[in-house]
Amino acid sequence: MNTNSNSYVMVFAVGMCVTVSTILALLATVLKETQQAAAEFDRQKNVMMAAGLIEAGDPRSREELEKLFQDKVTEVTVDTETGAELQGSAEEVAQKRKVSPLRYRVVGAAKTDKGEVTILPVSGKGLWSTIYGYIALESDRDHVRGITFYKHGETPGLGGEVENPQWTAQWVGKSIRRDDGIGVIVKKGQVDASVQREQDHYVDGLAGATITSNGVTKFVERDLRSFEAYLSKN
Amino acid sequence: MTSTATPDTEKAPLFGADEKRVVLDPLWDNNPISTQMLGICSALAVTTGLKVSIVMGISVICVMAMANVVISLLRNLIPSKIRIIVQLVVVSGAVIIVDQVLRAYAFDLAKQLGVFISLIITNCIVMGRLEAFAMGNPPWRSLLDGISNGLGYAWVICLVGAVREVFGAGKLLGVQVIPDSLYEAGYVNNGLMVLAPGAFILLGVIVWVQRAIMGKVVE
Repeated sequence: MNTNSNSYVMVFAVGMCVTVSTILALLATVLKETQQAAAEFDRQKNVMMAAGLIEAGDPRSREELEKLFQDKVTEVTVDTETGAELQGSAEEVAQKRKVSPLRYRVVGAAKTDKGEVTILPVSGKGLWSTIYGYIALESDRDHVRGITFYKHGETPGLGGEVENPQWTAQWVGKSIRRDDGIGVIVKKGQVDASVQREQDHYVDGLAGATITSNGVTKFVERDLRSFEAYLSKN
Repeated sequence: MTSTATPDTEKAPLFGADEKRVVLDPLWDNNPISTQMLGICSALAVTTGLKVSIVMGISVICVMAMANVVISLLRNLIPSKIRIIVQLVVVSGAVIIVDQVLRAYAFDLAKQLGVFISLIITNCIVMGRLEAFAMGNPPWRSLLDGISNGLGYAWVICLVGAVREVFGAGKLLGVQVIPDSLYEAGYVNNGLMVLAPGAFILLGVIVWVQRAIMGKVVE
């Protein structure tokens, strides 16, 4: 057989592509549920990390952590325009009322040793990707209990450092209520400890990742603002 | 591998001298990292700890075994004009399989390894073995070659990963190994070990030690 004739090459190439893509498509379908469950568990862990219930790299088993989540955290869908709590998932409500699902977001509340915390989802654009995270507020709805970012496509080592626990640890204890707005500011460079305002509301920027840092400042502010109605109501 | 010109007859032993050489060569004499200097990029990037190194090593072994066998089975059918792209398709397929499985069953590790799993596609060891070995050898021997080259890669990165974790974080597999008393006496973790240059220096030391033992200087 002449394996170098054009028609053979064409047939071989097409056959190869079809076979490989079929195998991969089958595999992806088979694994989809397990992957979604794993991603959901990762999300739950991040909610608990923001609330300070667990630390990154907690050695407990998956069952134990899932139980902890069920015991300590309650999640409700919130209408960000009215601040009302609703039944059902954000998608269901939005479909029923025929409005954008962006209006509805899932808010968590967790009971911890140090009082009740509110866990708000935050997400927005960094440099390359949408960054997803959770910010947990103390019961005074002002000071940050913790923040985590669990999904992003930023450059590893630069913008990707948003998930570095050493960096997120700086957010703890910052106040989100500034005289000129809401939210914590990711400064370019380091926080000047001698300035009270910076000590209260600023965190160090990520070196080499100005656009990611600015993005985080912006979307955290925007999302916190969108939860104002809910926070003042409850 | 001139001996492969003689077709392996039914009498050829399953694990003869040739097979033994195929298995042992990449582990030491012809190690892909420390002798051939291939796959350095991922060896520097993912070796921050022993656990990720082990997972990366296993992933590379799986990819190489799969790709080597498939290419070896197809070796007489692949048109030489498009053989590189065919090899690439097979490697990519194998890498995606590994990536998907990791995402389902080891989500944290998959997240930690992130883009480096996908980058196995560009690991020169994989393509190198396909082109140099699997295209000219039967499946069984190619399987051994793939696994063995993967192992050669894995033991080096696991060694680097273990040393980096012990001296960079005072831990091994996440368990503290450097006693608290030493920290109280003023010992500090070596920050360099956490960063890629630390891996680069370690790799250099491994190559040096290996060549000193082999007593042979390349070039």
